[in-house]
Amino acid sequence: MTAAPSHLDLLESESIHIFREAAAQFRKPVLMYSIGKDSTVLLHLARKAFWPQKPPFPLLHIDTTWKFKDMIAFRDKTVKEFGLDLIVHTNADGLAKNINPIDYAPSIYTDVMKTVALKQALDAHGFDAAFGGARRDEEASRAKERVFSFRAAGHRWDPRKQRPELWELLNGRLGTGETVRVFPLSNWTERDVWRYIIREKLDVVPLYMAAERPTILRNGQLIMVDDERMKPKPGEEIKMRSIRFRTLGCYPLTAAVLSTARDIESVVAETLSARTSERQGRLIDHDQSGAMEKKKQEGYF
Amino acid sequence: MTAVQSLKAEKSAQPASVRLGSSSAVARDLDGIVHILTCGSVDDGKSTLIGRLLWDASDLYDDQRATIERSERRAGGTDQPDFSLLVDGLEAEREQGITIDIAWRYFDTATRRIVIIDSPGHEQYTRNMASGASHADIAIMLVDARSGIKKQTRRHAAILDLVGVKRVILAVNKMDLVDWSEEKFRKIEADFRTLSWKFGFWEALVIPVSAVTGDNVATRSTAMPWYKGDYLLEHLEKLPSRGSSAGGAFRLPVQTVLRDGRDFRGLAGSITSGVVKVGDLVVDASSGKSAKVQRIATMSGDLPSASAGQAVALQLDIDIDVARGSVLSPPDHRPVSAHSVDARMVWLSETAFDTRSGYLFRTATDLVPISNLEIKALLELETLTSRPASSCGVNDIALAHLSLGRSTAVDLFADLKSTGNFMIVDAITGASLAAGVITAINARADDHDATQFVLTREMLSRGLCRNLGVSAEDREEFMRRANEAALLLRAAGIAVKIEAVPPPADELDPGI
Repeated sequence: MTAAPSHLDLLESESIHIFREAAAQFRKPVLMYSIGKDSTVLLHLARKAFWPQKPPFPLLHIDTTWKFKDMIAFRDKTVKEFGLDLIVHTNADGLAKNINPIDYAPSIYTDVMKTVALKQALDAHGFDAAFGGARRDEEASRAKERVFSFRAAGHRWDPRKQRPELWELLNGRLGTGETVRVFPLSNWTERDVWRYIIREKLDVVPLYMAAERPTILRNGQLIMVDDERMKPKPGEEIKMRSIRFRTLGCYPLTAAVLSTARDIESVVAETLSARTSERQGRLIDHDQSGAMEKKKQEGYF
Repeated sequence: MTAVQSLKAEKSAQPASVRLGSSSAVARDLDGIVHILTCGSVDDGKSTLIGRLLWDASDLYDDQRATIERSERRAGGTDQPDFSLLVDGLEAEREQGITIDIAWRYFDTATRRIVIIDSPGHEQYTRNMASGASHADIAIMLVDARSGIKKQTRRHAAILDLVGVKRVILAVNKMDLVDWSEEKFRKIEADFRTLSWKFGFWEALVIPVSAVTGDNVATRSTAMPWYKGDYLLEHLEKLPSRGSSAGGAFRLPVQTVLRDGRDFRGLAGSITSGVVKVGDLVVDASSGKSAKVQRIATMSGDLPSASAGQAVALQLDIDIDVARGSVLSPPDHRPVSAHSVDARMVWLSETAFDTRSGYLFRTATDLVPISNLEIKALLELETLTSRPASSCGVNDIALAHLSLGRSTAVDLFADLKSTGNFMIVDAITGASLAAGVITAINARADDHDATQFVLTREMLSRGLCRNLGVSAEDREEFMRRANEAALLLRAAGIAVKIEAVPPPADELDPGI
């Protein structure tokens, strides 16, 4: 007898279905790989969807040059282990102008080094579909996101022009100039991502686990000093603290939480009983009201 | 405000003591998932009801709670926090004060993932409601206790029925504003019974609630002792999970073919109904060829059997040339290889039906040019009667006859939902124009096919497809080019059809 599928079984199958539909319908897809826990689950599902073949698309990492060192090491190890193709893109223009997260407002920095960089990479390679790890539970404007999210020429997202999606039917026929973001994790929650990482025994970036790390306290947030570019301001001091991260991004913009959870099980135990949503730790989201929605219209993620 | 009401107001401003969900630190699978659609008219308090359910019954994060409590907004005319803030998403609609699109919310009870699909109440967004309903296992319809069943309630019930929702709850909201009157409730309940008889619902429950005060939402109301039935959350937790019944005949629409570079050739897809076991004989309805299931392969290991909802790859004992678009089934209960179908469909697009446009028929995994689309009638949802028509536009429910440019495997929607539905896609813009359910299947070509131009396989392989070989990829490319050529001819006003794939004995053209 086959037991009734658990909720993770159902979510896994749904994601595999989405991967296969997109790979069959689009000419040149790419997987946006941001190294964090959602990307880890996304990549694992992509591998499952096409096994015994390798995923029939490359990975794309937008490197702002401000990612944690541990993230880059994890990225390179993962790509090697599974024999994947990786494209790394940095906005050379932004880099030359030294647009950085310390001197510039998060919204400007994110626009130049992430949003613009992503558009550059997608355009340069002519990708017509990009897999992303976005989930509908992350933020209010994402609660209405489609599985196939259409972008007009210039990657603009128009909430009123999204296609209705019915049953399990996914319509990937593109109009002129259109591209698509594909979200296989649409129906997952943060808790599901962690539960699945444990169930499937997936490796994650060590930064998710607590360790003694050099930190400074800035505007009430704990920021890790990952390299010498992060200089303490007057009154700030670098202190070793036992910290971990709930989400991973550019280190000056990613707040840590104090924690002693040193293995994945205790991290998940803490996360499952957490009382604040994960985006609390992302400094860019508090920039302005409806921040995420605005970023999306401009083509972020 | 009465004494009872003010007492309730005070109580419900606190986070409720019932905190279901997984706050206890256990990393485990839940027993399953239930998708719930909520629908109602603009002022019926739908967003407030969902917000209330999240507030009382789910493990909302503290920052989410704080945002709601900090907000200046109060639920209409009360001192209650405005729970609808938990639901309403996009800025534009927050300003307009109405919900304009479907939004997805997730929460866990002790055993269950509950997914709430919030659908718009505004009439002009009927198409969004249909799209939300197509994902739902159960629908909660809201009415205002002061006004009862409205024309729109009927319209909503008809849409639910059309897209295959089998369980419904009528939540009679704002009972606090009719002094918790049993008489008012019983009248609405009786009206709803009369209404729901006309539809194919398996289960129709009527519950008196107040979203603002929380009565009969996540806890049993003390203000309405005369109501003995389930309160809302109680009922939602009893429902069977999606994927828990693998009823119906086995179907696997093939998405893609996976290879390992040696002898593995896996027909990959999601099982949409039924069960398949190693050793079962399966058949491809279009070619009639059959083979035995040798392996049910996944990256986590082979399975002895698999059922509805699972994504797998089947390896067959012999190669029967199955590709994307084929539907695998048991030999004694096959889908029909359809040349034309009758259907009911919701027109979703602002672009109205146009006889000159090129349309595509999108099934689970196949995409077929439509050689002729004929609108026969429009369904009046309030009266459930149809009147003859030859055109349709946004939010219309049309009865139509669709002739296909080549045959494809389908089922009746009433028998098997996932292989009996389709979308109509604009060949040029790619837009999703309509969504439909199949009500009758014709396995033979329509009479007027005699007057159609036939794109023969020979004609195609001589020119347009002459650089293609015999591999599976090339055969898919052949079909893609044939489809596109048919579309262009169709757009130029020429009735066209693509010559069928020859029977297996025909060895003249093995590549196609």
